[in-house]
Amino acid sequence: MSKAGNPSRGLIARDLRVAVENKEILKGIDLTVEPGRVHALMGPNGSGKSTLAFTLAGHPGYQVLGGSASLDGEDLLELAPDKRAKAGLFLSFQYPAAIPGVSVANFLRTARMAVRPEDLNPAKFRKLVFDKLDTLDMDPAFLGRYVNDGFSGGEKKRLEMLQMAILAPKYAVLDETDSGLDVDALQSVGRSVNALRESEEGKDIGFLVITHYPRILRYVPADVVHVMIDGRIVKSGGPELAEEIERDGYDGVRDEAAAARV
Amino acid sequence: MSSSITESLALEFAPDARTLDTIVSVLAQHGAHAGGAVAEATRREALARYEELPAPGLRPSRGWKHDYAKLRYDGLRWTSDRRTVPTIPFGAAPQGEPDVDRPALQTENAGGLVHVGATLLEAQDAARGDARVTLLSLADAQREHPEIVAAVHGAVVDWRTDKFAALATAFQNCGAFVYVPDGVQLEAPIQLLFANTEAEDEAVFPHVVVVVGKGARATVLERHAGEGEHFICGLVEVHVGEGAELDYAVVQQAGESSRVMFSRGARVAQDAQMRWHLADLGGTLVRTVLDAHLGERGARAEASALFFNTGMQHVDLTSGADHAVGPTESDTVVRSAATGRGQGRYVGNIVIRPRAHGSDASLRDDALLLSKRAHIDSIPALEIAANDVKAFHGATVGSLDEDALFYAGSRGIARNQALRMITLGFFEPVIARFPGEALRDEIRTALDHKIDEATEIDG
Repeated sequence: MSKAGNPSRGLIARDLRVAVENKEILKGIDLTVEPGRVHALMGPNGSGKSTLAFTLAGHPGYQVLGGSASLDGEDLLELAPDKRAKAGLFLSFQYPAAIPGVSVANFLRTARMAVRPEDLNPAKFRKLVFDKLDTLDMDPAFLGRYVNDGFSGGEKKRLEMLQMAILAPKYAVLDETDSGLDVDALQSVGRSVNALRESEEGKDIGFLVITHYPRILRYVPADVVHVMIDGRIVKSGGPELAEEIERDGYDGVRDEAAAARV
Repeated sequence: MSSSITESLALEFAPDARTLDTIVSVLAQHGAHAGGAVAEATRREALARYEELPAPGLRPSRGWKHDYAKLRYDGLRWTSDRRTVPTIPFGAAPQGEPDVDRPALQTENAGGLVHVGATLLEAQDAARGDARVTLLSLADAQREHPEIVAAVHGAVVDWRTDKFAALATAFQNCGAFVYVPDGVQLEAPIQLLFANTEAEDEAVFPHVVVVVGKGARATVLERHAGEGEHFICGLVEVHVGEGAELDYAVVQQAGESSRVMFSRGARVAQDAQMRWHLADLGGTLVRTVLDAHLGERGARAEASALFFNTGMQHVDLTSGADHAVGPTESDTVVRSAATGRGQGRYVGNIVIRPRAHGSDASLRDDALLLSKRAHIDSIPALEIAANDVKAFHGATVGSLDEDALFYAGSRGIARNQALRMITLGFFEPVIARFPGEALRDEIRTALDHKIDEATEIDG
């Protein structure tokens, strides 16, 4: 495929610097997630991984100090959160908010209609939802429950995956989707990502998988692995980098980075 | 017809003895044609109580601007009339399209009664309805079923302790009587519609009496709709017989400049169940009292209420569950929201008396403030004088959940739409308890329209 040849294709951050409550957290991030590829972003707690995810999605609490972020050439930083979703960005939340009184079915329909207003035919939509439920091995009773209201950790992550499958974005940022999941739930998440990647509408999705632990990468193999420490990407490499971290922890990379900065 | 009181008399209303003198003589003169159902002596006593009683309401809070002592009554007409019409002018809503502006007597009902102002409409094409149910104007019922009426009318809501119930008793001018005999199980609701037109502003004082016999089951739907600047002040008194069940739903969509005050009370017999459902959506100043008296073992009362104050609307709701004996149960859920300069107050009373051992009372109220100038007070009052009881109370007052708004935004849902969705969702636990999907959808649609109005006003 020659898509990567177009310089503006991709979910791209350039020298992105971000503060939260006036404290600089991201100190210049450069990253390009190409269509159809899986990038893993690893790093210890507090390194700024989730800040990057929220900044890309447009959370109002994150203050962009400089740099840029774009999606297939469109300037994300200019857009309200819903416009970013319409441009093709999806964020799977580490801690998804509950919306009591709003059923999953209603929420999915509203979101799908907002993101892709052109193709909503109730019968087709219903089939789409049931197909995805099946892939995710989820009980249709889920649809009648209120969004994330009283959901277990695993149920919340499955609902994130269900939404991702139904919205079929261009780029998906999975923020610590593996945290708090047991092996079964993790396998289910892996299956759903892979099923989406194998589907016609999902094959070109670019993924940014944010994680503390390498284990999710056993289920969702990464093409590129980045390590973030203290608000900077200090090292990038192939899947072997994840193995290195699994073996040695972050200390080795941290020392290397510190040595390089001197 | 020349027998119409309206044509011979247009009485200017004022809450005073001189007006009451005129009213008493009008009612005496027009007898069976008029809707008067309160004896003269009672009216005079009630007016005296109205004058004696202080304006209702506990310590008004910082944000509560309304003063009941300063209500004005000028420009209101008092009448008590009935009119024969070819057909009830409130047709069925188009299928699947709840019509919130002109609520209908649904095609499916077990009988209905329509008042426009204080005038009872009697259709020539006599309403279909369930033959087992007695449905009359309260004045007619007093003549035809004096004992059944007397056992409930004036015996459930205590006008001697409630200023506006006293006013409603002194100047009563219309009303309805619903009787569901022992063992009768109704599927369709009985509908009571109180409509108002813009033609002339009226002072309307309805009394509604509902008697549900032993082991019977019924749903009553009381609706208020219309336009104008009316003053509507009424009583609803309910008796739920042994082992019976009643759903009593109120959908109040009176004109936005009307004032609406109702005191509603239910007496719940042994092993009977009373379920109040209240949606106070219309009116500019609304005061509602919703009481249940649990005086026999196994009696159970639910109250589900919502209001949503937009613009300058004030809604003042008081609920009460009186556990006189045990075991009895009450379950109260209230959801309220306000935007613009809307103001609200909810007072939740639970009394568990010394003989009410083993009772179970739950009270949950949540308020949502959608603008800086909106204000809602939540005032729970639990009084527990028995042992071995379960009593739960929880209350919150909050603003919109920004995390939920961002979450919905990240799914492509624009802020306004997310706000609408989250607000409607907030009311859902109360809506879900209303009887019938058609009615639930109607309330959702009405709330949706209110959100539209609010966002137009607030920009």
